[in-house]
Amino acid sequence: MKATDSLATREQAARELLARYVRVVDDPDRIEEWPDLFADQAEYRVVTRENLEAGLPVCVVCDDTKDRIVDRVTVIREFWGAGGRLEDRHYNQVRPRHVVGPVWTEPQDDGTVRVLANFAVWGTPAGDFYPRLLAVGEYRDVVEFGPQGPRFRSKWVVLDTPVLQDVFVYPL
Amino acid sequence: MASVLPRTVQGPPVPLRWPPEDNRIPREIFTDPDLFRWEMDAVFTGPVWVLVGHEAEIPQPGDYKTLSVGAVPVIVVRDAQGQVRVLVNACAHRGARLVEGPRGNVLKGGFRCIYHMWTYAPDGSLLGVSLPDDFPAEFRKEDYGLPQARVALYKGLIFASFHEGTPPLDTYLAELTEGLDRVLGDGRLRYLGSIKVIFRTNWKLYVENIYDGYHVTALHTGFQVVRLRSHGGQRLVPNYERNGHLWGQSRSTPREQLEPVLRDMTLFDVRTKPTTDHNMMVVFPSGVVTDYFDTLQLRYVLPLAVDQTLIEFTFFARADDPEEVVRHRVRQGPAVLGPAGAITLEDAAALERVQQSSVARGDNVVLKGTPKRFPPYRHVDEAPIRHFYQAYRRLIGVPVEEGSS
Repeated sequence: MKATDSLATREQAARELLARYVRVVDDPDRIEEWPDLFADQAEYRVVTRENLEAGLPVCVVCDDTKDRIVDRVTVIREFWGAGGRLEDRHYNQVRPRHVVGPVWTEPQDDGTVRVLANFAVWGTPAGDFYPRLLAVGEYRDVVEFGPQGPRFRSKWVVLDTPVLQDVFVYPL
Repeated sequence: MASVLPRTVQGPPVPLRWPPEDNRIPREIFTDPDLFRWEMDAVFTGPVWVLVGHEAEIPQPGDYKTLSVGAVPVIVVRDAQGQVRVLVNACAHRGARLVEGPRGNVLKGGFRCIYHMWTYAPDGSLLGVSLPDDFPAEFRKEDYGLPQARVALYKGLIFASFHEGTPPLDTYLAELTEGLDRVLGDGRLRYLGSIKVIFRTNWKLYVENIYDGYHVTALHTGFQVVRLRSHGGQRLVPNYERNGHLWGQSRSTPREQLEPVLRDMTLFDVRTKPTTDHNMMVVFPSGVVTDYFDTLQLRYVLPLAVDQTLIEFTFFARADDPEEVVRHRVRQGPAVLGPAGAITLEDAAALERVQQSSVARGDNVVLKGTPKRFPPYRHVDEAPIRHFYQAYRRLIGVPVEEGSS
């Protein structure tokens, strides 16, 4: 797919990328696929609306290079995951579930597509009775189209709540 | 004018079982809601200095931030004259919360209550009320200022106390000031933002975890993966005979000797200090100060309920840092020591598990390093936890009996 493809095709492809993203981040067995959804020069940030609107630079997650995006998987699998042996992992098992929509696409003059979407992320803990609302907010993404198909050039996860309801292991 | 808040409870509401050995901690203290209420009075509005901020968070006259001292909602504000005040965030008339947001500036307009339009200056004095005709003749605005805590500053750190018997701050901090000097330098910092997260654990479990050097290599496996270890260090407990602060010191493996498991190893850079020496401090009961790697961080431990604690991680640069150093601090701080940080997230999991099974009754036991009775301890010891609970027990009225250990 190229930047010259029709607007409708690009917007549809951007929506499908977002859907694939949700399939990957909701499946703890597929987290290795997550970096492939990003371009070679890309950023993934989780920010609170509070810091963003106050002009404060601190982010909850600041993966401002592809290297840091790839490292996130290493941290999940090796640092926290004790090399991947489920019984030894050093975080509590919480199954994430994204609820995303509506999705709004805005084609840009440079051939990218801006994608805006509301999200809520629920986590269902293995060790508790009740699902937890982990985060509520808005995606502000830019999708680019290169030889490898549509990929995120940037993904900003803007959290409405200044207070995270829990720590989160898998990307929001 | 500092004022002491009225108390409703005068002693521990329930008889507490506490084992005679000072290395055993009864699990009931993490689950008893009546004890939690008593702690909010006896500990947080008791004779302690509670860390509530740094001056860099409110640099201009009228700047304010909100948080709580135990259960008491407060506004930390710089008044028009530049003096830092800690005001109770409740109108003196009918108690409505005055400000809702986390931060702002009220130099123009002051704090105005939405309920009856009572308005307070940034120094907490009552400026005016709406339609005061038919008020009792003896009504005087001077009698209706906002209650405020005593405030003391150290290197820009802001401490609040609602107790008239709290010793002077220097006495309270004792030799912890030496550690604070190392981290804070001349005290001139730049505020970079904060991240807040709810831990599903009792506030004491969060704080005691920082006194515990034993869990560090066991739980934080990221250290092992990159082969980062402590090359010496110690755990001091300044003022352990009264307040039991924690001053952990460690020297970590330099970045160039680490296993390059990550593509971007700047996570472990130390660029702003001459050595890889780190300090991790608790100002009893609920303030955390650290300079781990290049991260200048304060944490405020805010108890929400007996099994929920809000932790606010605040990040700073030095006032004169060049922009590339500020950028490095922003990239490193939350990525290491934050709720999504490479070596912090595990604490939330472990502490939630301790909390959940505290209903099992019985005792938690502290062993490593305990053959030694007094600090200094080794940096891998958990023995300092005993001193945290000794200070805690004095405040809640269940002191350790002499010769009981």
